[in-house]
Amino acid sequence: MKEVEFKHKMAAHCESGTVTAILNHNGLEITEPMVFGIASGIFFGYFESSNFPFPMFIVRNKPGSIRKNISKQLGVKFYTKDFKKQQQGIDELNSLIDEGRPVATQVDFYYMKFLPEYVRTHMNVHFVNIVGRNEENYLVSDSYHRTVAELDVETLNKARFVGGYMAPKGFLFYPAYIPENIGFEKAIIKGIKKAAYNMTKLPVPFIGVKGIRKFAKKVKTWPELARDIDHLSHEIMKINVFLEDQGTGGAGFRFLYATFLQQAAQQLNFSQLDDMSKKMMAIGDDWRNISYFAAKIGKNRDLGAERLNELSQMINTMADQEQVFFTELYKMVK
Amino acid sequence: MAATDIQQIKQEVKEVIIKALNLKNIEPDSIDDSAPLFAPGNAFGLDSVDAIDIIMRVQSHFNVRIDDQNQARDVLESIDTLAAFIVRQRSA
Repeated sequence: MKEVEFKHKMAAHCESGTVTAILNHNGLEITEPMVFGIASGIFFGYFESSNFPFPMFIVRNKPGSIRKNISKQLGVKFYTKDFKKQQQGIDELNSLIDEGRPVATQVDFYYMKFLPEYVRTHMNVHFVNIVGRNEENYLVSDSYHRTVAELDVETLNKARFVGGYMAPKGFLFYPAYIPENIGFEKAIIKGIKKAAYNMTKLPVPFIGVKGIRKFAKKVKTWPELARDIDHLSHEIMKINVFLEDQGTGGAGFRFLYATFLQQAAQQLNFSQLDDMSKKMMAIGDDWRNISYFAAKIGKNRDLGAERLNELSQMINTMADQEQVFFTELYKMVK
Repeated sequence: MAATDIQQIKQEVKEVIIKALNLKNIEPDSIDDSAPLFAPGNAFGLDSVDAIDIIMRVQSHFNVRIDDQNQARDVLESIDTLAAFIVRQRSA
């Protein structure tokens, strides 16, 4: 087995965890919350489109943005490549590992067979680091798993070249250049400013706080869109999945962002950010209440107008809280 | 931490879970400390909704935080792991 010495770490979220681990391996000391915060990972978007079978929301920026924004804010250059031909993608990954280089790659989460079956779903934008291989197996550093795990070659190839929405196409990346002197202070401020702008000032009616308000309003109409009570229950329970179960670090990334603000306060010696961290933690707790409420009424099929109005009001309260929070945060770093 | 303290925490954890999930006819002493709480086929039929409920109640009862679901998966593995986590958090 060709194995690269790699410090495996568990992380809250796959993309920020994978980027953090591979940056650390290449000599850049940075934490996962710092990567997430500098990359302006915190977000909200509510989407209704004919591309989706049902309305959906997201609580972080677009997959791939963590790496792109880190590159922009810190000046790290990543080598990136995707592949039209599967064999080329396999050959390139193998050759990089044989050179002793760990490589991050995009996969369908479902095929990460070393994780319990009950947590695995088809999701094409999972990220892992590949840190070794032989003829039969790859060594996978997945931030959701306690240790580096073996995965057979056929399964990893399937995971890298599966089709469908946001198909991975064998996408891989690694840091090719890391500047010697990085201006973390400036990057932190820019990352916060961009996140606060996205949440409060983007003139798009379904993004940021406006998106949370739209979600609050529209969730009351979901019964009209659902096929039957089972379908509605499934979609309502997915609120919990999106907030808690999909590598969010809890409460739709709000806890991870709170940790970033705490670390930013120390790095910048800026105590007001520590206060903001505590406020974000409290906001996270309220999102978790929503998550629990949605899961509970979904599970119990308690989905009448009264309950959905209650859910809508809870979500609207989050819009109020995040409007105040991100407005204050924006002013602080302006 | 004395053995009696960890036993006391385990007892309280069991009581919190029994109350949270409204488990009828189950005494704390009948719950195996090392049995998996959430693996498929677990003794109580617990699911991810119950997991959030337990997290919120444990946080409130013991004044600790379980933020990350990867961490939660490990912490909620059994009564033993939950109690050990509470001890670690309290002594941190």
